Amino acid sequence: MADTLSKLQDVFRDVFEDDDLVISRATTAAQVSAWDSVMHVTLMMAAERAFKLRFKSGEVTGLKNVGELVDLIDRRLGG
Amino acid sequence: MFAYARANHPRSVRGMEEALAKDPELFTEVAEKFGGWAAGVHGDEGWAPLCVDAYVNFSNDVIMAQARYEADGHYENSSFAECEASVYADREVMDEYLWGVFLTNFLWSHHMELSRVFRDRFARKIAANASVVEIAPGHGGWGVWLLSERPDARLQAFDISPSSIAIASSIAKSAGVADRASYERRNALDLSALPAGEADACLCSFLIEHLEEPEKLVEVMAHLLKPGGKAWLTGALTAAQIDHIYEFRKESELVLMAEKYGFRVLETMSVAPLRTLPKARFVPRSMGLLLQKRTTELG
Repeated sequence: MADTLSKLQDVFRDVFEDDDLVISRATTAAQVSAWDSVMHVTLMMAAERAFKLRFKSGEVTGLKNVGELVDLIDRRLGG
Repeated sequence: MFAYARANHPRSVRGMEEALAKDPELFTEVAEKFGGWAAGVHGDEGWAPLCVDAYVNFSNDVIMAQARYEADGHYENSSFAECEASVYADREVMDEYLWGVFLTNFLWSHHMELSRVFRDRFARKIAANASVVEIAPGHGGWGVWLLSERPDARLQAFDISPSSIAIASSIAKSAGVADRASYERRNALDLSALPAGEADACLCSFLIEHLEEPEKLVEVMAHLLKPGGKAWLTGALTAAQIDHIYEFRKESELVLMAEKYGFRVLETMSVAPLRTLPKARFVPRSMGLLLQKRTTELG
């Protein structure tokens, strides 16, 4: 789980073009100013490439925070 | 609606606020109209959660489909059969889909531009006491809006989906126009069996990109209209969705199709979202065409 969060932080920094961005499980869209619906999908596509998996739209639309995304990835990876 | 979205779908609020800011007067008019009709169906407290949830799910599906399209270079599905299996034949999926699309008439800022032309240049300008045919009404909002603008008009609508017939009928009832609207389950492309040249106006919104042979739709619209009759046709270009199967790339494709089947192209508009995916190759566009069936070969 810690590895997933760490790897996700790289994804976030790349997508939002912010090398200083620090995320935690509690991070929400409200704390990352550019994280709107378009960037959410961009983020999910980048996460798919990073973790070599493919999300269904319904899996990622309702994610409330980074922690739920970490859990989803870990479940999908069988962790 | 905004309060519910802020509390439950914060990532989607930016687009909604952009639509409001773009044209506050039109946004308010359409939102009150469509929201009021939805409240008549789902109740004052129930409509916003149901419709906003559906809108957010639909919009996110669209953005996700567009992202896959960017990666793959083609739409996910290419046949009606694939879409029927995954979308059209599933009543639960279809109900949510239609209520989601219902709000895009004003929550997608670029669709508000289409809404203004539809209201001002089509609905308010068709012949007096018009007999109007709506092909594939989906949620029914466009046709019901026309009837609310034109108390002298009557509407016959045809859709292949039972969800559409149920939802569009409920919205017509809520809007108080059900006595002038009829909804029948029928394949749009079978409408060439109806009598030719009896309709004063015909509208068809965002069906053409769902068809394997889109020309047949334009041919049907021409068949149904009287010479001189008006048509409102909208379509999507390089805009992915799980059930978009015909990939229009250029605006001229729709214009040429309309001309081929005897329409004079009165007005066209091509609109796009304010924000697209980063480094996008494809700009998702929606096109509106205001057409008139020619009275002579070049008339």
